[in-house]
Amino acid sequence: MSQTITIDPVTRLEGHGKITIQLNGQGGVEDAHFHVTQVRGFERFAQGRPFYEMPSLMARICGICPVSHLIASAKACEAIMSVRIPHTAAQLRRMLNLAQMVQSHALSFFYLASPDLLLGMESDPASRHIFGVVSAKPELGRAGIALRRFGQHIIELLGDKRIHPGWVVPGGVTEPLSPAKRDEILAMIPEAYANVKLALAAYKQIADSFKPEIEVFANFPSLFMGLINEDESVEFTDGTLRLIDAKGNIVDDGITASRFTEVIGEAVEAYSYTKFAYYKPLGYPEGSYRVGPLARLNIAKTMGTPLADKELAEFKQLAEGPVQGSFYYHHARLVDMLYGIEKIEQILSDPLILDTHVRATAGVNRLEGAGQAEAPRGTLMHNYKVDENGLITWANLVIATGQNNNAMNKGVLQAARHYIKDGKFSEGILNRIEAVVRTFDPCLSCSTHAFGQMPLDVTLISADGEIVDRVMR
Amino acid sequence: MSFSPARCVILACGNTLREDDGVGPWLAQWAAARFHAAPDLRILSRQQWTPELAEDAVRAESVIFIDCSAESAPGELTLAPVAPADGSPGLATHHLDAAQLLSLGSQLYNSLPRTALLFTVGAGSMELREGFSDAVQAALPDACRLLEQTVLQMLG
Repeated sequence: MSQTITIDPVTRLEGHGKITIQLNGQGGVEDAHFHVTQVRGFERFAQGRPFYEMPSLMARICGICPVSHLIASAKACEAIMSVRIPHTAAQLRRMLNLAQMVQSHALSFFYLASPDLLLGMESDPASRHIFGVVSAKPELGRAGIALRRFGQHIIELLGDKRIHPGWVVPGGVTEPLSPAKRDEILAMIPEAYANVKLALAAYKQIADSFKPEIEVFANFPSLFMGLINEDESVEFTDGTLRLIDAKGNIVDDGITASRFTEVIGEAVEAYSYTKFAYYKPLGYPEGSYRVGPLARLNIAKTMGTPLADKELAEFKQLAEGPVQGSFYYHHARLVDMLYGIEKIEQILSDPLILDTHVRATAGVNRLEGAGQAEAPRGTLMHNYKVDENGLITWANLVIATGQNNNAMNKGVLQAARHYIKDGKFSEGILNRIEAVVRTFDPCLSCSTHAFGQMPLDVTLISADGEIVDRVMR
Repeated sequence: MSFSPARCVILACGNTLREDDGVGPWLAQWAAARFHAAPDLRILSRQQWTPELAEDAVRAESVIFIDCSAESAPGELTLAPVAPADGSPGLATHHLDAAQLLSLGSQLYNSLPRTALLFTVGAGSMELREGFSDAVQAALPDACRLLEQTVLQMLG
């Protein structure tokens, strides 16, 4: 008799999804899927809009990482305009993108993941959330909140709004940086360093106690993709994409936004509204790959900043070649944050950072354009086609969560098969299966949030429809 | 950067695209214009109250939370003290209410404002549009007067 376990909704994620686990007659796991149950219609309703509206429109997809959408979208528009933006504008955008990464990673690590990491996978679900962390480890609660504020405040200083700033436009940014704002950001940096170092120390202290989870949390060989500079340092805003295999060999390199769709395809599965990206030459699903913090650290030879480089060297000791365990996304996220703070400090010391030439202007000079950037969760690509009047005729977005989709599904199956035996499961086991998805920090649709509290209701139903078991919180 | 507390903080909440839900941000904007030169007043308007606002709330001498209320009659004004919530706010990390913010801030920063008030305007409609229902529109002059008096008291 086959049975299905459903985890709906999966909690502590950005957006709404569910997990189903199919059991066979012996109570073992036959299959498992992570379903994204929201529909995104942005590509469709952008049609007919002027291309220069796209950054503002597309940013509305997400309340957590709108900046990445702004940047990828503006870059796609600049390809249509055939302009190269001023150096200062590029540096200011880079700083904005890093600030967003820091605040988004702080949300992921402290608010969403740390309840599992610091309180334990089996801890009381009634207090397994950020407020439980605050009670148990107030210094880490304060650090997490302060890092989120750090990133949010930089975004607000630069773009005038914490969410959906209109400052990034096709051609650059609307306003230069003032000396007062530069000094205000610089004044925040020492505290940000202290907070991320505290988090790194706390993570390293507890990481070894999660060895069983590390073994089965989406831990398998795969391809990895991320942006990189010519000097092989990590990059979030410019650079080109590199794809490596599970042994670290370069599979493809120098992938520009205009080449993205030549090499990356998107497959569709009936159980999810999110597509499944893959590397075309290897086909689907063999060409599936991972993006995001883990991929970035696996690909980069250097972070390009001294403190993060020390952390990268330590991270690379975790495995010979690329680190495969997705649990290490958490670790990589903290290294990303440290890098982000250092890089922001570096950018602010650029002698041209206060320059007032921050925007290029042009009309339609090409009928298609693509732009790419690293969002906190991984590579993001926007591709638009326009008519001679600059009205959008076609748009496609490839988001990080879609690029991690196959790995998330494989990871859920791997963990479910490991933990569920004889059809038996506990709340702690189901939490671990949810926690596999949390390692990727997927953003299913950050622009819409749940109203009220998100419950967990897991029902085990037999093939004849009888409720066999139920766990609720 | 060390946090610099304000003497009086206004924390408004709401979405201006959801009709009367936008009354909090509207009143915050009004207060920003009315008290634009007041150095002791910090006005923060958000779509949701999130944990990052806890420090602003609890390190001030006084805090005025402004929100619409689905429970009050449309246009009804209520100004009442608010105390830290008992117990945990649960899984909702993207939005907190005033009592939960005070509770979180108290735990994290070991501080509470001397006065914490919740000022609500009863909502008549929260449809997907800008502007206010007739009842809330009619209540705005009184709401502004009450907010003005309250802020002046706090700063006095």
